[in-house]
Amino acid sequence: MNEINTEKKRRFRLKDLSLTTKVLFAVLFVTMIIFIVNLVMYTQVNRMVNSMGQVYGSNVSLNELSEKLEKVHESTYSYLEVKTSDSLEEYYKSAEDYQKLLESLNREVTENPVMLLEKNIRNMSETYLTETDAAVSYKRGRNVEKYRKSFERAGQLYDYLNSSIYDLNNYQFHNNSENFRQLQGALRSLGLFSTALIAVMMSVGCLMLYFMVRGVVSPLTNLAVTAKYVGEGDFHMKLPMNDSLDEVGVMTRAFNTMVSSLDEYVSLTRENMEKEQALKEKELLMEAHLKEAQLKYLQSQINPHFLFNSLNAGAQLAMMEDAEQTSIFVEHMADFFRYNVKKGNQDATLEEEVESVENYIYILNVRFAGDIHYSKEIDETVLGIRIPSMILQPLVENAVNHGIRNIDWEGRIRLSVMKSGENILISVRDNGKGMTEEKIRQVMQGTVKTEDNPQGSGDSTGIGLSNVQARLELYYNQKNLLEIRSGGEDAGTEVLIRIPFIEETM
Amino acid sequence: MQRRKTFSIEIVLMVLSLAVFGLFLGAVLIYYDNMFRSIDMKEEKLNRAYAKQYEMIVDNRNSSLWGEVYGLAKEKAALNDAYLNIRRADWSTEYDKTESMDMCIAAKVDGIILEYNGEAGLTEKINEAAEQGIPVITIMNDPNKSSRQSFVGVNDYQMGHAYGTQVARLIDENTEDILILSNRERELDKNQLYSQIYNAAAGKNGTIKVREQNLISKNQFDVEEAVRNIFQSADGPPEIIVCLDEVTTVCAYQAMVDFNMVGEVSIIGYDASDSILDAVEKGLIAVTFTMDAEQIAEYSIEALTEYWEIGRSNTYYTVDLNVIPAPPLKE
Repeated sequence: MNEINTEKKRRFRLKDLSLTTKVLFAVLFVTMIIFIVNLVMYTQVNRMVNSMGQVYGSNVSLNELSEKLEKVHESTYSYLEVKTSDSLEEYYKSAEDYQKLLESLNREVTENPVMLLEKNIRNMSETYLTETDAAVSYKRGRNVEKYRKSFERAGQLYDYLNSSIYDLNNYQFHNNSENFRQLQGALRSLGLFSTALIAVMMSVGCLMLYFMVRGVVSPLTNLAVTAKYVGEGDFHMKLPMNDSLDEVGVMTRAFNTMVSSLDEYVSLTRENMEKEQALKEKELLMEAHLKEAQLKYLQSQINPHFLFNSLNAGAQLAMMEDAEQTSIFVEHMADFFRYNVKKGNQDATLEEEVESVENYIYILNVRFAGDIHYSKEIDETVLGIRIPSMILQPLVENAVNHGIRNIDWEGRIRLSVMKSGENILISVRDNGKGMTEEKIRQVMQGTVKTEDNPQGSGDSTGIGLSNVQARLELYYNQKNLLEIRSGGEDAGTEVLIRIPFIEETM
Repeated sequence: MQRRKTFSIEIVLMVLSLAVFGLFLGAVLIYYDNMFRSIDMKEEKLNRAYAKQYEMIVDNRNSSLWGEVYGLAKEKAALNDAYLNIRRADWSTEYDKTESMDMCIAAKVDGIILEYNGEAGLTEKINEAAEQGIPVITIMNDPNKSSRQSFVGVNDYQMGHAYGTQVARLIDENTEDILILSNRERELDKNQLYSQIYNAAAGKNGTIKVREQNLISKNQFDVEEAVRNIFQSADGPPEIIVCLDEVTTVCAYQAMVDFNMVGEVSIIGYDASDSILDAVEKGLIAVTFTMDAEQIAEYSIEALTEYWEIGRSNTYYTVDLNVIPAPPLKE
């Protein structure tokens, strides 16, 4: 999982960018393109303007050349006329300036008429300067004839030069005008070009932003709709899955997780409430059964407290009269009833239950002159576990009343408590009348006819088998803990209780 | 799923806009680069440097002969690493030949091809150029007394003979007057030419008058006026007019047509411009002469090249004179 995540992280995806970055990216993208378009346009325009500048630049420099030439000629004339040192200086200066300007002119012989004209102008200018120099030096030497002639010749060259410069100017202007026209056309088409491109880019940019914003807004709209359904309790509504790492993706996943959690939480709460409800019902039912048992007990007994106090008094009286048997009997009775009174609505240890059974058997044996042969087989290790009270005694009572009473053979009752795996098996077996399958079924279903066991006969503690079974099921929250086995008519009966061995109950 | 779809639309748009942008950028850069290159190339193409600069000075650079000669000579010069320029008269002052020579000398060119016509002061300029070490090749006429380097042209005898033959062919019983229209300085009077024509005429008919009229002193457009005056003179035009240059030929032919004298006047022309050839074809001009342009071009450049290569060249190059239409084979 982690690897997948890191893999995802490593791979750059546009949709994982945050919304801010995404919008910024879109705007930047369009802006950058428009910027570059402008830059390209600007560069080209600049290039063209430079070219156009050159168009006139060459004409401007020729004008300068022409002006300097005029200056040279004027200063020569001025010197020849007045021969002042100022005019001489002026001549040298202007001649030097002119010479410098000549340096920029072409000196190669080429086919290009402009270049050739430049070369001719350069050479003619040199001849011209030689002539003016000669005129100036002849003037200084006062050679009138020669300086006149030289100046005359210089004048002629001056005319040629002016005319050539004029020609060159025209020529350049003509050439440049052609270039200028071409550049002008190019400039116009560049304007059209870039306007169209900017328009296209703007449209594309707007479309991009539109789709991007729609991509952001539509999940939000979905969210609003889904949230409404969820609010109405439909936890099965989910947003479409989205694996992008932007805010919308994060929010979508968070929302889906939230809805899932809500669903789980609500289910859990409902389940808990149901369980609680069941528990309450169980408690109520248990209480009702107990109440029923107690009521039946109270109905069948005269005030047990009074009874077992009286019995105690009887036991003491028997002791005083040295009637030991009577005393023991009464004591047993007292114990039995005390146990019934004390444990009526509580659970008890298995040991206490067994003790209660033994008390009961003792009492019966006194009553029936030792007709009941009781034996027990107890696994001592399980005696400490807790079970619902008044469980074993009713079983023994049933074995006595319905099993071995009125039989022609010796009646036996055997109580055994064994540990079997995770369970404890408690068995009450008699060798009495036995039960038919039909009867067993009726007893288990609680539909047995009461003629065999008339209520209030006085012999019963009043707690029926169905009551025992119900209390066991409530206590252990399990069914079929009680089982009745019988070999049939006169083959004895065994009531078997299987309860779980729970350490906590010890 | 929907978001994925919209996102791919964004990517498609991005790619689309990038493609459009790339196309635009490419188109603009290529277009403008080509434009600037074409502007540069236009000039660079002409920027071949040559070792020598020759100038060609002729009367009428627009004449078909000089146009052809210039074209050919320029090619030949280029083969010898020289550039031949023809004096331009496009822009400003139209300089006469003396002034053009003066300018060429001041510009220190490496050679001058000059159509010599005996203009005043021209010989001095030829000498001045020679003093400055600039070889001058004269064509058409030969200033004998100058320091010109070489002469390229038809010799007078050859020319006189050719003209004489044609004049003699045209003389009939009605021929009384023959007029030679020349366009050159009197000092250049070519006795050979005149005497040959005179002899040819006299040989046919001793009473025929042979006159000569020089149009050199006239101003720019005066040739045409002078030719018209001839046609309008009281005595009427001569039966045969001999023209020694292109302009005179065209003027004479035009005046003959204008004055409705076709058939009455025979013209012997010079040069082979389209209009002259057309007139020859129609029979309006009896015959015209033309110098071999290729020979003029070749010899002129050869003379200049040799001068610079070995310090000297022939003083005389003879060019063939062609007759149009070609004379029929002798019976």
